Amino acid sequence: MKNLFRTKLDAANIVLIPACIGINYLGKLFASVLKLPLWLDSIGTCLGGVLGGPIIGGICGAANNLIYGLTTGDSITLVYALTSLFIGIAVGIMARLGFMKNFGKAMITAVVAGLVAVVVSTPLNVIFWGGTTGNVWGDALFAVTQASNLPVFLGSLLDEIVVDVPDKVVTLIVVFLIMKGLPKKLTSLYEADDNIESLD
Amino acid sequence: MKSISLFVDNGVYLTRLHPFTKLLYILTAIAVPLLWGQLFVYAIFIAASMLILASGKLLKKALPLIAFSFTILLTIFIIHGLFHQGNENVLFSVGKIHFYREGLSYALHIGCNILNMLLSFVIFVLTTRTGDLVVALEKCGCPPKMTYIISSVFQIVPQMTSTMGTIMDAQRSRGMETEGKLLVRAKAFLPLISPVVMSSLINTRERAIALEVRGFEAGCKKTYLKERETCKLDLPINIGLLIILLAAIGGRVMTCLL
Repeated sequence: MKNLFRTKLDAANIVLIPACIGINYLGKLFASVLKLPLWLDSIGTCLGGVLGGPIIGGICGAANNLIYGLTTGDSITLVYALTSLFIGIAVGIMARLGFMKNFGKAMITAVVAGLVAVVVSTPLNVIFWGGTTGNVWGDALFAVTQASNLPVFLGSLLDEIVVDVPDKVVTLIVVFLIMKGLPKKLTSLYEADDNIESLD
Repeated sequence: MKSISLFVDNGVYLTRLHPFTKLLYILTAIAVPLLWGQLFVYAIFIAASMLILASGKLLKKALPLIAFSFTILLTIFIIHGLFHQGNENVLFSVGKIHFYREGLSYALHIGCNILNMLLSFVIFVLTTRTGDLVVALEKCGCPPKMTYIISSVFQIVPQMTSTMGTIMDAQRSRGMETEGKLLVRAKAFLPLISPVVMSSLINTRERAIALEVRGFEAGCKKTYLKERETCKLDLPINIGLLIILLAAIGGRVMTCLL
């Protein structure tokens, strides 16, 4: 438990953050090139969380949205910096607790990350958009709930669950497969609980 | 390589303003209408942002950035116009579909808020060089490690997008389908993204070593390659914006108390 939030802010971890932000961007780009109905824009954030721990994951997430919001004109993402921050932290904590060891546990992480995203995004959606999320499937569901006179908050919550949980499940599957393929030479750079042993 | 920054270097006065001045404008443009909540306040700030963009000859560049939000705005208008909770009075009907006054006015509020936010951000985005922002942040005490992250993203992303192009071509030449049914497209995602992600993560190791060798973590004070020329307009604009902001907050507090 002591190592849960331990973070080394050394060059390796600092360099990891821009790489993860780039990966987020690529995920989003591929999703739009392949016209997939998911966002897939948090692969990098999750990788950052798994490799560097909750603090690095959180920085990846927040910095991701802040940088894109302030420089590429996609200022809507700015609002969701908070969501990304908490996704990064949640995945980081789960990974440190050992929930990335095998596929089943990775799926639990995915559901946790998805629910965290839902909880943080729903109030933002209601405040800024009146409840819609900008995703076709989710918004159709939102329209149905509004037509049947359910409260806006509940409708928006369902809207988010339908979009975010599958999105995070796919994201974490990708992250899990990538983590399996990374060489030990690289992952050992990020292990927080390593000690240097003296041979004398 | 194509940069992801949208900075337009046309030498207008806006590019010479301090980045924080423009950030203060964003804050004012978002906070004041939220404090007052009336539609005409939104309209004033939307008009002001448009005028600023026009004065910098940037309206044309701003249009595509605003245009993508129109689909979202349209869904908001449709959903709230049809199904908003407080809907009572029918404003107009298309065939059997009724649009309600309450829902549409609610959607108009949200729409104005979004448009206002987008426009004020567009001013910042189009007129601020990333380098200027990074230097400004560092001068006001932001740790160099954080500012490195920002400037580094702008180098890494174009590199990664070009790698992505290479990998897409490579996988297609091996016969992978990237178009067609949803399942086909979904199956293409992993073989496309994993090589880019792997290679960029493996590159981080080398980049970390390269940075360490060049004294990235040295504790001494760092110097700047470029000095930004100061702009005489910064001070009056800042003071003006602060007055507007304080007046709005003060006015709001007064109306609450009275």
